[in-house]
Amino acid sequence: MCLAIPMRITATDGPAATIEADGLVQTTSLMLVPDARVGDYVLVHAGFAIAVLESDDAAERLALFDEIAGMAEGGESGSDPDPDAGGSYDPSI
Amino acid sequence: MPDAERILLGHGSGGRLYRDLVHDVFLAHFANSVLARLDDAAALAASGRIAFTTDAHVVQPLAFAGGDIGRLAVAGTVNDLATAAARPLGMAAAFVIEEGFEIARLHEVCASMAATAAEAPVEIVTGDTKVVQRGAADGLFITTTGVGEIVAGHEVSAAAAAAGDVLLLSGTLGDHALAVLAARGDFNLTLDVRSDCAPLWSLVEAALAAGGEAVHFMRDPTRGGLATVLAELAEEAKLGIEVDEAALPVTPAVRSACELLGYDPLSLANEGKMVFAVAPDAAGAVLEALRGRPEGARAAVIGTLVGEHRGRVALRTSYGTRRVVDMPVGELLPRIC
Amino acid sequence: MRAGPTTPPSSQTAAGPAGRPADAERVAALAAALARLTPGARTFMEVCGTHTMAISRYGLRDLLPAGMRLVSGPGCPVCVTAVGDIDRVVALARLPEVTIVTFGDLVRVPSSHSSLAAERAAGADVRVVYAPTDALELAAAEPARQFVLAGIGFETTAPTVAGALLMARERGLRNFSVLSLHKTMPRALRALLDAGESRIDGFILPGHVSVVTGSDCYRFLPAEYGIGGVVAGFTAADVLEALLLLARQETPAVEIGYRRAVTAAGNRVAQELLARVFAPCDAVWRGLGPIPGSGLRLADEFADYAAEERFAIDPGEPVEPAGCRCGEVLRGLIDPPQCALFGRRCTPETPVGACMVSSEGSCAAHFRYRAIDAPGNADA
Repeated sequence: MCLAIPMRITATDGPAATIEADGLVQTTSLMLVPDARVGDYVLVHAGFAIAVLESDDAAERLALFDEIAGMAEGGESGSDPDPDAGGSYDPSI
Repeated sequence: MPDAERILLGHGSGGRLYRDLVHDVFLAHFANSVLARLDDAAALAASGRIAFTTDAHVVQPLAFAGGDIGRLAVAGTVNDLATAAARPLGMAAAFVIEEGFEIARLHEVCASMAATAAEAPVEIVTGDTKVVQRGAADGLFITTTGVGEIVAGHEVSAAAAAAGDVLLLSGTLGDHALAVLAARGDFNLTLDVRSDCAPLWSLVEAALAAGGEAVHFMRDPTRGGLATVLAELAEEAKLGIEVDEAALPVTPAVRSACELLGYDPLSLANEGKMVFAVAPDAAGAVLEALRGRPEGARAAVIGTLVGEHRGRVALRTSYGTRRVVDMPVGELLPRIC
Repeated sequence: MRAGPTTPPSSQTAAGPAGRPADAERVAALAAALARLTPGARTFMEVCGTHTMAISRYGLRDLLPAGMRLVSGPGCPVCVTAVGDIDRVVALARLPEVTIVTFGDLVRVPSSHSSLAAERAAGADVRVVYAPTDALELAAAEPARQFVLAGIGFETTAPTVAGALLMARERGLRNFSVLSLHKTMPRALRALLDAGESRIDGFILPGHVSVVTGSDCYRFLPAEYGIGGVVAGFTAADVLEALLLLARQETPAVEIGYRRAVTAAGNRVAQELLARVFAPCDAVWRGLGPIPGSGLRLADEFADYAAEERFAIDPGEPVEPAGCRCGEVLRGLIDPPQCALFGRRCTPETPVGACMVSSEGSCAAHFRYRAIDAPGNADA
């Protein structure tokens, strides 16, 4: 719902962090993401980091996209989508 | 701080204190033979048509990365004259100063004005000072008025714009607005952004030399941003405008700040940029000329004037879709949602 | 063990340097894939003001196949705030000792007879902040004044206000309080569907609300209503990908498109903070009416920071603007251009209802980013 952009943590000082993106430097609170570390990318909203971002999962997205494109072109590849698989995060990884 | 270092109400009342201030501050920085006469009116020579403009400057804070209220005042007036293809002949500067303002800061502002005037080039040939009670003037207000000599033989205005004209923008959007925002310190933000505030007569002179009568329209996108200039041009010229979003020059720092705060780069103020509408056969030459100057290094073709959807500005997004661009409404407020 | 990112994650617009953005090709390909999928007439609803804006800003409707309709639901927190609640904020602003601290989103929203912008012009002390923690600094700097934060927003913003309250307590700040107008999404979705007014074939679920809540809280959608949803990010590619995932669902399900930021469980720390600082309460939504348990009030432990406890105000009876169809827009029953006032009497410059005033309201987004031949293009 809300404006938030990915920014990289460059320094931490207790629950506060210095974050940076394209020459924009801010301080933010890590209260909501206590496991965040220097070098992590976080999603920042209204002065707080709300999530640590996973890698751009570019390779994963490309694969999904190819699968979809393949299906859309008329050939069916793969089985019916499982409502519980596909997009869900698996904490065991 | 002792009284001698601050502006007092007495400085505005025309007597000895006032004369001392004029000599110690204004004459010291704006040294020129016309001003030195200290006549109530400056006499200038001009041939042909003159352009005449005025602006009040009320920025907070008074100084920011890349400039201050003094630079803003001089550049703003020079640029208004430039949009009329007028070489600046002389400027007047009227200061309204709040009681208690540090004279050292007044020196800084005047030094900045003098430096900007030398760049333009233009001389500050007459002026006035009033002092108001503490709390009434946010520190300092400056009103500048400029007189220029129109060098173009042809009409340069929205009425001269024609369908098919190419739109050129002299550089990156949003730098000034965000530099001021960062300097205000409201949003706990450090930005790698400097105000683009600069006098543009030399840039315009180069454009006119390259394009001559093919330069139909010029305007600087100050408050209200590029969106306002384009909306005004479309309305006044009774033509449509097509803008290519991907072609708009925006620095990564400005882009990120806009995403974070919910601003649209097209709505942000610029103080050192110019929009040109140029006949298509001369557009390439004018663009070259702009890029040949430091203030125009990132000049770009951003769109065209068209005969369709007259009065409206259409933006072609980076995805090939199209939508309307309006003037921004009301004050610029950051969003979180 | 999660892998750290080696390249920066995509930003909202995924724009590269001047020129085509990094995802332009992907967007074109997704649009083509959507067209080939031809799912027939479908209506998908998004419930997030930032999605409303993104769809309009990128002109995504131009890229959808015929028959695929995108409608906006009650996803703009300012738009769904009842007029009576805005009246309460205005009433607080009128107290001479009070400084209202607000997000920019709220400043121009009309109350029954006024707005924060109008009150400021009339002498009220209204300050705009980007972060709730900025309000703490303002309060600390002026101990003689009372600083009241108008807390709007859904589950993305409420934890940041909760964080600010914890800090206020730690610092012993006594001149700070919050008027909580926060609301939560899942019950609003139920209320919308229970009203059974319009057919919705699937939801584009909010990206950043879901960062906090996780996607599991939406499982009732397929389970109880047979409607699927995809949690989407905010780039053009993100939205189109989510539509593609929705369109190809043969069995309704909840999926996460925005996997770089959203998980099934969500941000537990933020959820715990919400549970500690806030408690559910009934709330009135503009357009939807009262929805039990859909609001957040300050928990009893923080009652001393509740503005409604600290100040006695009389906001008067709320007055809805005449002719305004914001309610129907918020329920996705009509598109903004179907309202007779849209683009004529009701424009961003002269707004009648909240959907037009709020810069991410459905009407404002439709108007600001309207197609070149849409209503609103007539000379004013």
